[in-house]
Amino acid sequence: MSGVYEGITVVELADRRNQWAGKLLSDGGARVIQIEPLKGSPGRWCGPFVQDKADPDNCLDYWFNNTGKQSVTLDIERKPAQDLLRKLLAKADVFIESTAPGTLAAMGLDYAAVAANRGLIYASLTDFGQDGPWRDLHMNDTAHLALGGTMASSGYADPTVTPIAGKGNQAWHMGCAFTLHAITVALFDRMTSGEGQYIDVGIHDVCAIGTEAAVPHWMYFGETLYRHTGMHANAKRVPPLELPTADGKYVMAVNQGLSDKTWNALLDWMDERGVPTSELRDPKYQAEPVRTAEYRQGTLIRDAVRKLIAASNAEECFLRAQNMGISWAMIRAAEENYGLKHYEQRDYWRNVEHPQIGRSIPYPRGPFTCDALGIEPRGRAPNLGEHTRQVLTQDLGLNEQQIAALAAAGAVK
Amino acid sequence: MSNAAHKQKGVLSGIRVLDFTWKTVGPWAPRLLTHYGAEVIHVERAGGFDDHRFAVHRSLTVDDETPNHVQGGKKWYTDPYFNTLHHGKLAISLNTRNPEGIKLVEKLIAKCDAIVENFSAEVFPNWGLTWERIHEINPKIVYMSSSGFGHTGEWKGFRSFGPTAAAQSGLTLASGLPGQPPAGWGYSYLDVMGGWMGGLGLMQALMQAKKTGKGMYLDYSVTEGAMTMVGTFLLDYQVNGRGTRRADFPPGNRAVFPQVAPHNTYRCSGNDRVGQHWWVFIACETQVQFEALCALMGQPQLVLDPKFATNEARVKHQDELDAIIGRWTRARRRYDIMRQCQNAGIIAAAIQSAEDRVEYDPQLQHREVFPIVQHPELGEVPYEGYPPKLSRTPAYVHGRAPTLAEHNDYVFGELLGMSEAEIAGLKERKVI
Repeated sequence: MSGVYEGITVVELADRRNQWAGKLLSDGGARVIQIEPLKGSPGRWCGPFVQDKADPDNCLDYWFNNTGKQSVTLDIERKPAQDLLRKLLAKADVFIESTAPGTLAAMGLDYAAVAANRGLIYASLTDFGQDGPWRDLHMNDTAHLALGGTMASSGYADPTVTPIAGKGNQAWHMGCAFTLHAITVALFDRMTSGEGQYIDVGIHDVCAIGTEAAVPHWMYFGETLYRHTGMHANAKRVPPLELPTADGKYVMAVNQGLSDKTWNALLDWMDERGVPTSELRDPKYQAEPVRTAEYRQGTLIRDAVRKLIAASNAEECFLRAQNMGISWAMIRAAEENYGLKHYEQRDYWRNVEHPQIGRSIPYPRGPFTCDALGIEPRGRAPNLGEHTRQVLTQDLGLNEQQIAALAAAGAVK
Repeated sequence: MSNAAHKQKGVLSGIRVLDFTWKTVGPWAPRLLTHYGAEVIHVERAGGFDDHRFAVHRSLTVDDETPNHVQGGKKWYTDPYFNTLHHGKLAISLNTRNPEGIKLVEKLIAKCDAIVENFSAEVFPNWGLTWERIHEINPKIVYMSSSGFGHTGEWKGFRSFGPTAAAQSGLTLASGLPGQPPAGWGYSYLDVMGGWMGGLGLMQALMQAKKTGKGMYLDYSVTEGAMTMVGTFLLDYQVNGRGTRRADFPPGNRAVFPQVAPHNTYRCSGNDRVGQHWWVFIACETQVQFEALCALMGQPQLVLDPKFATNEARVKHQDELDAIIGRWTRARRRYDIMRQCQNAGIIAAAIQSAEDRVEYDPQLQHREVFPIVQHPELGEVPYEGYPPKLSRTPAYVHGRAPTLAEHNDYVFGELLGMSEAEIAGLKERKVI
């Protein structure tokens, strides 16, 4: 499959923050060479591991975020390794790195030092970007969701309970999405200009524009939002939409307008579940504006909906509501998406072979269904240093003696 | 006056996008192109409007709860979030229920490089605009549909808002305190991040089209995109049989992988403007950081306590450790804690509200994350900009959001070459 990034060579300096961007480049057909420290990327040591046994080749978070890449171990603290990286960058199309600002300049590996490769797109994805008073603060993903504003809106309606950060390294994902957008713009430009450039992305900047209504509410109205359990923070206290089901799960019962057909189907469903509907069958609610107003502001329809959901299973709530045109969702565990016919019909899962465990695992294809873009995992993540020899000999033209000397000096492994 | 989208040259100057998006998740994708000079034509229903023009917020300029659109003479439609989502775009009105309106859409398709929409799956085909038809009119065009579940498969007709996709993907469940209902995301994370991913797909498609000279159809499912953001959980289930629906998950703000402690939010002195407590997040990922924290708290002996001496021990005794740290932070001010911890090399961050970020955050001010744009009715107003800084082809904020049907004359006159009389006729027949 010819992917959108086919023919592009990417050098990625291993880091947990940038690896998802590199994965999406690899999934799009780029050759991604990940440069790792001799003991492996921090991404190999975070877990979870196969059978919970710490092993840099068996870290599942690393597996997911590094599909199709090549791994080269280089200790870039050492000068000979810096020279090798400089040579790789002389031929690369894209470089992604997340070191603390100033680190690579001290090694003679900043953009200015390698810009003789006129086509190189050099992207730095760091916590705060390359400048500013907070540039050198110590952060992790949760710290970004705190400082960037996500947490202030997320959590529980009880004002004494802590705000909550969602799991899954989402601040880093947001940073990667913008980094890759900018890289793709730069590649688009390079097709005509032939010129690369430097890209500076701060994760804090990205998070700060990613909180939907919170910023406009403050900017324009001077309002601070109340957190609401499982749903949008709001300038007013509003009733819950995250409602418990009969089977111990939750449904996100999005409040929306209900057409006549939907309304009557909903009432029938309530009757089936023994939810009293006599008041709701009052002819005045046959007028859509009246029931919409009641649903938004009153308690009558809300109470009935709450009872209906409490008397139904989550899967039924989702399927039955959606089939009558109501956009309710089941709060599903990620893994509960496996085996659903819809995703199989869309050919969503891609089996990736894992000799380590003697079988293949279904990975998500990616966000887009589009054969012309050709985005999907291109094989498993590499073992530590799996491609060191190949890159040193074939890309950098070193012979066995030179490699042995570098290894003896602790520059490669 | 013409909006600024075609004033300043950018990487995407000459790229024209027909934008049928509305609500939140759709508009982001073309908005991200405006920063590079693409001409984005936002289409609104003739006689109506994108409901984000008024539905989300009340008027800024009139002390009346009535939405802007019914207030006589209010032509600017100053809804804040519309301004954020559509700045730098052009706006036209078009009646797609009228066959003449569809003819105009087809003429515009012939002149555009991309067409984007986030309607339900049946809307475009109902207008006769199947991919086959779009492709027939313009073989080079990129067509992207954004939807909750995609345009094929048994759920293709299902409706979705940001919270729907977050719930279905597994993201909502992966946020919360153990034993409590899911906390989820306090806004439509997938309308924002999902919108950015759509922007990425659109940019990728434009590049691929430039490379191959061929158009393509991009079926973007926001839920499928979100499932690529919880991949580690999927693999943990596949390999270790460990699901995310379990008693000890999610663990609030504690760390999952790697397990490190301390890693939590701690209450500080004070409350925000609506009475919610103030909190600070603190984490120690290394032994050195933990030793520094103990010293900072004036309790250096904690490091020697077998319950806290190693990370493994600390993880085991997190409740007790969190209580100790919480007692230290309780009477202190959140930014003081953050500064002292950071000076000692410890990960620490205040839970910042929108007010904190917009008014006081020195980093965001330095990086000009909220650029000021001139608005005809409001004067100088800040917007949420485009974060990446490109050295040679920088992104710009190309100006305010368009007013309703502001560019009908430019688009129908200049672009489609219609005469004033023809345009007047369209207006008369309520086509535009």
